[in-house]
Parts: sequence; C-alpha cells; structure tokens
Amino acid sequence: MYGSLLDALPAVLSLGNFAAVVIGVIAGICIGALPGLSATMAISVLIPFTFGMDPLVALGMMAGIYNGAMYGGSIPAVLLRIPGTPAAVATSFDGYPMAQQGKGGYALQVSVVSSAIGGIASAIVLMLLAPPLAKVTLLFGPSEVFWVAVFGLSAIVFLLGGDILKGLMSACFGVFVSLVGLDSISGYDRYTFGHLELLDGINIVVLLVGLYAMPPAIALLEEIVDLDTSMSGKLNTVSLWKAIPSMLKYWKTWLRSSIIGIFVGILPGAGGSMAAFLSYNEARRASSNPDDWGKGEPEGVAASETSNNADTASALIPALTLGIPGTAVAAVMLGGLLIHGLQPGPMLFRDNPDIVFGFMWQFLFAAILLIVLGGALATNSFAQVLRLPRPLLGAFIIALVLVGVYSINGRMFDVYLMLGFGLVGYFMDKLKFPLPPVVLGLILGGFAEQNLRLALRIGGGDWTALASSTTSKVIIALILLVVLTPLFKRIFRPKRSLTSAS
Amino acid sequence: MTARISTIAAALCLASVTSTQAFADYPEKKIDLIVGYAAGGGTDVMARTVAPFLEEHLGNDATVVVKNMPGASGQIGVTAVAQAEPDGHTIGTYNLPGMMARTLDRDADYDADSFTYLANVVDDPNVIVTPKSSDIDTMDKLVATAQEREGAVTVSMSSLGGDDHFFLIRLSEVTDAEYTIVPFSGSAPARSALMGGHVTMGIINLSEVVNFRDELNVLGIATEERSELLEDVPTFTEEGYDIVNGSLRGFIAPAGLPDEVESSLITAFEKTYEDPEFREAMLKSGNPVKLTTGNDFEALNAEQLELAERVWETSPWK
Repeated sequence: MYGSLLDALPAVLSLGNFAAVVIGVIAGICIGALPGLSATMAISVLIPFTFGMDPLVALGMMAGIYNGAMYGGSIPAVLLRIPGTPAAVATSFDGYPMAQQGKGGYALQVSVVSSAIGGIASAIVLMLLAPPLAKVTLLFGPSEVFWVAVFGLSAIVFLLGGDILKGLMSACFGVFVSLVGLDSISGYDRYTFGHLELLDGINIVVLLVGLYAMPPAIALLEEIVDLDTSMSGKLNTVSLWKAIPSMLKYWKTWLRSSIIGIFVGILPGAGGSMAAFLSYNEARRASSNPDDWGKGEPEGVAASETSNNADTASALIPALTLGIPGTAVAAVMLGGLLIHGLQPGPMLFRDNPDIVFGFMWQFLFAAILLIVLGGALATNSFAQVLRLPRPLLGAFIIALVLVGVYSINGRMFDVYLMLGFGLVGYFMDKLKFPLPPVVLGLILGGFAEQNLRLALRIGGGDWTALASSTTSKVIIALILLVVLTPLFKRIFRPKRSLTSAS
Repeated sequence: MTARISTIAAALCLASVTSTQAFADYPEKKIDLIVGYAAGGGTDVMARTVAPFLEEHLGNDATVVVKNMPGASGQIGVTAVAQAEPDGHTIGTYNLPGMMARTLDRDADYDADSFTYLANVVDDPNVIVTPKSSDIDTMDKLVATAQEREGAVTVSMSSLGGDDHFFLIRLSEVTDAEYTIVPFSGSAPARSALMGGHVTMGIINLSEVVNFRDELNVLGIATEERSELLEDVPTFTEEGYDIVNGSLRGFIAPAGLPDEVESSLITAFEKTYEDPEFREAMLKSGNPVKLTTGNDFEALNAEQLELAERVWETSPWK
C-alpha cells in the first residue's frame, strides 16, 4: 500500500494537477472569508463543472477548497467577529478580542499556521492509517455518538457568558431551531407550518449568517464605534516567518487539537464546527490561565483552527474506505468521486490507486500551501478590505450574505429566513444575549436527540443499553472526569480560604 | 358574438400553427433537467450521466442543462416539473416509490396524473445484509430470530416511507414477524451502524453492496431473477419469500406534452440506453440499468402507487 502511495506522487506534481490545488486553496480562502459561502456549497457548485475534467484536477480543486475554506472562515471571524464558515465560530472567541487589541495580524498568523498544521496532520493520518481508523468509525453506533454529543454539550458551560440565564435561553433557542423539520424517526413534521422548504431543517449557514453577520453589518451602517475597524485595519504584521518561532509554545494545543479534529472527522455526522468547539474547550481546560480565554488568548485561535482543519482529510477516511462520509463536505466529495466512476470501498484502493493516493497527496499539499498562500497573499489583501469606509463595508457584507444564502438552495425562502434570524440576532446583540450557545445548541442538540432515540430503539427502550458497550463506558468515564474535576477543585479550594480567613 | 368566436378561432389557429412549427424543430431552446436533490447525490449523478447522451440522440443541437432544486426529499423539484410548461423544455428526474409515497403522507401539489412518463432508467433492487461478524447469514436464520421474539431484529434504514421501508413492511407480512425499524437520516449513518454491528440487519440497495462483499453478508435480493452483479446471491422468491422491490429512478415531463415531443424524447432515451458508452458510464457510477418507457413506465408508476396505498392503509409510516 505504501508503495502505491509513492507511485501516485509524480502525477500529482504534474503542472495541471498541482495548479488545480493552488487554485483550489486560493478559491477556498476567498469562499471561506466571505460570510454566507461555505465549503460544502462551493464544492457542490464546482461538481457539475468537474464532469469533463481529469479526476485529479477535479479532486485537487476540491481538496484545496476544503482546506482553504476552513482557514478562510477565520479571517472575518478575527477581524469583524463574523465567522465566515460555521467552523470558525470558536475562532472568533479570542480572535476578535485580539483584533480589538491591535493584534489582529498575529491572530491571523496563528490561525494560518494552526490551520496548516491541523491539515497536514490530518492528511498524513489519512495516508498512513486510513484502514485501521475506519474500524474506529464502526465502533460508534447511535449510543456512542450520543455520548460524544453530550461531551460536546458540556462545553456550553463556558460559552454561557456572564449571565447564566441569558446563556441558557440562547442555548435553548439553538436546540429549538434544531428541532425544525421532518422528524426522521416518527416521520412527523415539526414546526414547519406547511412549508416544504423547512422539511429538511434549517441550514446552519442560514442561522449563522443571520445571527453573526447581520448585526455587525447593521452596526457598521449605524456608525457606532463599538465595532472598531480603525484598529484592525492596521494589522501590525511582522513577517510570518519571524512570527512562527513565538508560536512554537502552542505545540501541546496543536497536538491535542489535531487529535480531536481527526477523531471528530471520522465520526459519521459530526463536522468541523463540533471539532472546533470541543478542542477549544479542551485547550481552555488544559490551560494554566483559563480566565484569560475569551479575552484575546492566541492559544484559543490555535485550538479552534487546528481542529477544524484536522477534520478535513480524516472525514474522508470512512468516506473512501466504507462509503460513509464523516462530514457534509465529505458527502459532497463522494458525489464528486462517483461522477468520475470512482466508487468508495476497498476496491477503490485496488482499482484506482493512482487517483486515491493522489487525492491524499493533494490534501497534504493543500495544507502546506495554506501557509504560503494564506499567510503571504490572502491575509494581507483581506485586511485591506477593512480600510473601506464603514457604510460601504456594511453594505458590501449584506449584499454578499444575501447572494450566499440564496445560492445554498437557489431560493428566496432561505433569504427571508436569514433576515428573520438577522432581526433576532440584532436584538440578542442589543440585549447582550450570547450567540455561541445558539450555534452549539443547533449543532449538538438535534444530533444528541436523534442518536439518543435511535439508541433507545435499538435497545428496545432499555436505558441501560446506552452504556452497554465498552466504547460508551469509556466516553462516559471521560465526561465524568471532565465535569467532576472542577467540582472537586472547588470543594477543596474554599476550605483553604476558610481556614485562612479564620 | 360571432366576431369574437372568429377571433378566438383565429387565435387558436395561429397558436396551433406556431406550436406545430415548434414540434418540427424541437428542441428550439435549452432543455432544463430538474433534479430534486443536491449536486453529487445518486439521482444527480444519474442525470448528469444521461444529459450528454440525451443531447447527442435528440439531435438538433440540443442542450440539456441540469438544474438542482434540492429540498423536502425531492418533492420541491418534482413539483416544479409538474407545474412547468408542457413544451418539452422542462423535464425532471423521478424517484419511485418516494414520489408517489409523498402524495400519501404529505400535502403534495401533484399526483400521478401530473406527469408525462418518459423513461425509467435505473432499477436498483433491495438486498438484505447483515454485518460479517453476525451469525445470521441466511434468510432462515434471520426469520427464525425474528419470529422468536417480537422486535428482536433491529433494521437500519436510510429514511421512512422509502423503498427500503416498503420492503420491510412486505417482509414483515411474508415472514409473519415484527421487526424494529431504526430510521437514520441518510444512508451513511445507517450503513455505519450496520457495518459496526450496532443493528441486526440492514435493507440497502444492490449498488451499495457490490463493493462491500467482504464486509457484509448478503442474504437475498428482491428481484425476479438473479442479478448478474451478484450471481451467487439467491432471490427471495427462490428462498420462498415472494418479494420483488427496489428503488427506481427515471425521467418525467409535465402532463400534456405534445405527442411529437414525447415520442422524440422517448426515442432519445431508447437510443441512449442502447449506447454502449452509456452502459459503461452507468456501470462505473454503480447504477443497475433497466429501461421502461412511456406507457409501461406509467403502468409501473401506477403499480408502485397501489403498493404504497396498500401499505399506507394497513401500516402507515407516520
């Protein structure tokens, strides 16, 4: 197998195939950076055009777009607190405060280097460990996936913000949105009010853009100074190569977040946003100064960006070997493979090793190219956008968002829905309701619910079935460990302060 | 009064003249091929594979443009076709039994009479599979387990009200046993749970199993004769369970298509089907082909609707 890996290399390095990766990465960064356009959408738009292309050209562009978009999403997240893609929400927690402190340039550099590291780690794992890791995917049935979702939901505690009641209300709103649509288990429509467009549920991009992009865009038009672009317009960047040595201290976060990202990638149905939330939370928990997080800690940007890129290539592990896509993007990519007559499964590796292994190399090159293209070219040019007069920038964002949301399914319904969420977001912003719990509630609420019900169905309604497998037990133990550790710490700490007080 | 009638008559004459001209050189503009699913899905791949062959065999410099209108499991796209102008410049993909099942379980703005049935191209029969690690590797063992205790056999499926669900309801009748339905959202998590051994069995389609013979036991196939893709797998009829079922994918146009347009489209589909290059492309993308055109396709649709209605009456899926 490793022999065919090397055999596939020359074809990948040919001019056309390599250029496809370069173009893909640049296009991906731009798409990710534009709020309302996501990698899933970009690749589905691209697929029809790849019909007549050479498979490696088509796949190279997809690999490039996927990696590029996962980084690109962090650019507006850092500079404007508008996540360009759902996976960049966690990046905005610390990235935006950094930009406000005039360290936006450094935040983007941390982001691009972390993204590249996550992507490289993921690509290497895909190349070397795909068959054994595919077996790990199979260990996760509904009950195991349910516990992973619960683990992710435990991150909500930190995201609640200062006012716990408002935070919980936000989380509930997110869970409520996840309920909309056809309930796949009973077959009943929930909160669709007879609209066919709502049957498939609400696309996360519609919600995300409404909540995150509309309020700041309106704020730009209102000329309120709380969105300070005069500072972030000057990025204060030193050369990327000079900045890298100061980042090496994040190696633990890079390693941890890569592992989390790769793991989430191979789980069916999860995705980059879940990886980013999980790894942000774990990095904060492991940090020596957790109280500084959310106020401009570069390590937070590193955690989130490493894992959302680490999820890219690994999502293809179950997709290529078992035909089970790990993320929505991987599902679309499978379609791209099918168009070229490449059917997933063990036969794929036997019959078309050049293409499969070439595709893996392309993921690796796309991740490496991120540093060059993302660091040098894209980041600086995108920062220039912020020098635009504010009303113009606001109008520009709104126009982009409208086009982006329309193009998801090509219908106005989603645009109106997005404007509705924009209104909700505007008032949430004014009334100081935190936004992240909404996103987490939407991603994990429905995911947890569906898997819990499937697990109970499989277990014949017996709740002990949820903890019957070894995998479930291990995850439950992890959750208890993570939830109870701070509790024990708190029990021991007041005693000491009490004794000192007396 | 007479003046008005003659004006209408003149207008009708004019209209028929212009439309006759339109038939003569059909297609006179691009043909929209509406796919009710997102780009990259199984139906989309079929449409995109067919499109260039259709262009070639229609002649007249025909251009076929695939338009994706995803949503509500294909219902949005098929409704758009039903409501389009019946001039042959809008056609669409059509899935059975899904599209007919939707007229029962939802408020659909179309019914069986809303379409001109052009050609069904793909016939992907159901198969029963169990994980390789499972002891249940024959139909007899499966049925024995299912009859032993009600609901003991858990079945992973990709959705409710689809071909796999109808198959299960038929199986339940024929084997006189109750199965526990575990409906996932989409075939990916359903297959993951199946391959991981989290459920007893799965109902999937032939195209999904061909590449995974080493990972799965195939207990039987729901066809009348054995498939050439899986020659060693017996049909359910052979094993004593009379079930023939599968997922069908084809092409339709709005009802009321002019006869000339209908016949030139059907001829183009027939020529496409005969094209060895087309067969090769469909085989590579994993689509078992079987052509049914025009009236036969309409009869096939009526048969599927009847089955769906019967199932809906005895055991509604929602």
